[in-house]
Amino acid sequence: MRRAISIVALLALMAAFGFGVNRLIASRKTNIHRETSSYVPTATRPAVILPGTLYLAQGGQLYSMSDGFFTSLHSSTSAGTWMQPAYVPGTQNVVAVLRSAEYSNLYLLNSQGKVIRQLSNNAVVASKVTQVWLNHWMFWPHFGPTGTLYFAYDQPKNSSTYAVDFSIWSGSLSGTLAKQQLTTANPFTGGDVDPTPMANGDVMFSRYAIANGNAFSFIALVAKPLVQPVILSTGTQDCGQPAPSPDGTMVAMVCIGGTGLQSTRLEEAPLVGTKLGTPRTLVTNCLCSAPVWAPDGSGLVYYNATDAAGHFELWWIKGALTAAPAAPLQVTTNLNFDATSPPSWSPLTSIPVMTR
Amino acid sequence: MLLGFLIAFGFILSGAVGAVAYFMPAIVTAFQDTGHAINRITPGATASPTSSASPSASTAATQPPGVAPPGAPFTVLLLGSDNDAKFGGTVLTQSMILARVNPTTRQVVMESIPRDLWVPLATGGSAKIDAAYLHGGASAAVATVEENFHIHIDHYAWIGLLGLVNLINQVGGIDVVATNPVMDDYYPADLSGTNPYAYERVAVLPGPQHMNGIQALMYVRSRHGDLRSDFGRSQRQQQVLLALRAKAKLLGIADLPDIATAMANDFSTDMSIGEIASLLPIASSVQLQNVHQVILASPYTSNLQIDNQDALAPDWNLILPLTHRYFPAA
Repeated sequence: MRRAISIVALLALMAAFGFGVNRLIASRKTNIHRETSSYVPTATRPAVILPGTLYLAQGGQLYSMSDGFFTSLHSSTSAGTWMQPAYVPGTQNVVAVLRSAEYSNLYLLNSQGKVIRQLSNNAVVASKVTQVWLNHWMFWPHFGPTGTLYFAYDQPKNSSTYAVDFSIWSGSLSGTLAKQQLTTANPFTGGDVDPTPMANGDVMFSRYAIANGNAFSFIALVAKPLVQPVILSTGTQDCGQPAPSPDGTMVAMVCIGGTGLQSTRLEEAPLVGTKLGTPRTLVTNCLCSAPVWAPDGSGLVYYNATDAAGHFELWWIKGALTAAPAAPLQVTTNLNFDATSPPSWSPLTSIPVMTR
Repeated sequence: MLLGFLIAFGFILSGAVGAVAYFMPAIVTAFQDTGHAINRITPGATASPTSSASPSASTAATQPPGVAPPGAPFTVLLLGSDNDAKFGGTVLTQSMILARVNPTTRQVVMESIPRDLWVPLATGGSAKIDAAYLHGGASAAVATVEENFHIHIDHYAWIGLLGLVNLINQVGGIDVVATNPVMDDYYPADLSGTNPYAYERVAVLPGPQHMNGIQALMYVRSRHGDLRSDFGRSQRQQQVLLALRAKAKLLGIADLPDIATAMANDFSTDMSIGEIASLLPIASSVQLQNVHQVILASPYTSNLQIDNQDALAPDWNLILPLTHRYFPAA
C-alpha cells in the first residue's frame, strides 16, 4: 500500500515537473503588448499640468486633458472611430471626424461628447452601397481665427481615373461646410492634408509630390483659393504636418529621415514672410508626429512611440520658441494615442464634468 | 541504483513531454510548412503561360545546386501572394523581393521585382513574372527569377495575405512612417465578404503610426491611387519588412509556437525550422543603415502593352549590372 502511494506521488511529481517545464518556457515569451491591449487615459494622470485643454483621440474615442486630468467625451463608437478633434474657438465644443470603413464625416460635439449636429454626409446612398467609390473622406478639421473651418476632402474626384486625392477646403459651421476649394492636389499622390490656418488668414498645409520614384512632402502656404501655393520647404527635407506658432514666427514640422523611411525628425524653422529659415532639430531619430503649439506659445506637444509595442505617448517641449528649449518631457505613459490625430489645444480650461 | 536511474529518467521524460507540448504548434508547422525543397525546373519545360498546368506537370526536379554554407552570404526570394478567389484558388505573387543577407557584415540588400515584368517563364512561354508561381509554385518562381536575373537563389519563403495579417497581429502590430496618403477606391475586398470581385476603400493617412495586420496589408497592397503604381507598393512592402524586422528583434524561441500558429497554412519555405531560428539573431543585429533597398523603376523598366495587358518591359542591360552589384551572377 505504501509502495503504491509512493509510486502515485512520484508520478504526480513527474507530471508536475513536466507542467512546470512547460510553464517555464511559456514564461520566456516576449512581453509584446498585443493589439487587444487597452489603456484608458482617464485611469492615468499626465506627468505635467499643461495650460488650457488638449483634445486627443485614442482607440476611436475622444478625450480632453485639462488641469492634470483626462476626461472621456463618451462619444458613441458604434458607427466608427472618433478621431482628429478640433476645438471650436471660444466654446467648449469640438468638431471631430467619425471614420467608418468607407467614408468619414465631421460632427459637432459638445464638451460631454454629445452630438450636436452632423456636419457632412459623405456616405453613398443605400441603393448604391456596392459602388464604394461614391463615398468620400473628410479629415483634419481645423478652425481659423475668424471661425472658418478648414479640412481635407477627397473632392473633386475624377471618375475616369483611379485618382483619389485630398484637397484643402473651407466652409463654416453655420453655412455650407464644403464651400470653397482652396487647393488643387498633385494627382495620384494622396494630395494636400493637414490644413493649419494662420492669424493672417493664410493656410499652411502638407503637400505631397512624387518624383524619381519617391514620395515627398512639402510645407506649403496658400493665401487665396486655387492660386499656386508657396512651397516653403524642399523635397530633400521631406517635411510635413506643419504647426505655425501662435505668434506666426516659427513653424514646427515633422520630417522623414533615415534609411528605410523608418524614422522622423521633429524640427522647427523661423518663418519670415513666406520663407522658412534654417531649421533646428528638436528631436531626431524618432517616430514623432503631430506637433501642436500651446496657445500661449510656451512650448509644443507631439506624439512619439516610446516602447516596443509602438504606443504613441504625448511629449512636451517647454520653451520651444526660445534659443534654449528644455529637453523633451514625456507627459503620458501606458497610453496609445492615435498618431494620425493631431491634438487640438484650446486656451480655455475645461468646464468640470461629472466623470473623471 | 536502478531505481534512482528510473526516477531521474522519469523526470527527464516528463520535462521533455512538457517542452514538446509547448512547442507542438511550431513542430507541426516545421513539418508542414518548412523544409519544402525547391524543385529546380528544367528550362524550356512544356507548360504555356496561359495554361493551368499543375506544378508537378510543369516542373522537373534536377540536382539541387549548393546552398550557401552557414555564415556565408545567401539569397532568399520572398514571395507574397493574394488568396484571390477570382483565380479559382490559384495565386499570383503580388510581391517578389530578392534579399541578400550577409551574416558576417550584417548587411542586407532588398531588390523588389515588379510583378508586371514581362519575362520568359521557367515553365515555358512568356508572361508577367507574377504568373510563374501560378503555373509552377515556388519552384517555378525561383527558376524564373534565376534564369532572367542570372543569379542563384539559396532559399525561398512564401507568405499569403492572411499569414501576413496574422503575423503582424501576433507581434503586436508594427510602427510605420507612411510616406504619403495611400488612397484607393478599388482595393479588393477579398478578405472580408463573399464576393471576390467586390471593392473596398483604403485611406492610410500619412506620417508615423501603429498599424495592425489589416491596416499594414492595405498599406502594402494598395496601388491604384499611387502615381508609381506597383513601384510605390514595392517600396511600402520593403518598409513593412523593415518594420517587422524591428519587431523580430524582440522575439525569442519561446515565441515560435504562437508565430507558427498564426501563420499556419499561409507560409511555406525550403528553410528548416533551425535555419529560420538562426535568422532571428541576424535580424536583430542588422542596423537600418546597413539595409540597401532597390526598386526597378524607370529607366530599368518601361511600360509595355502586350497580349492586351499592361506590362513592364525590362531593360536587362541596366537591370543585370545593378542586380549583380549586390547578388552574385550565377
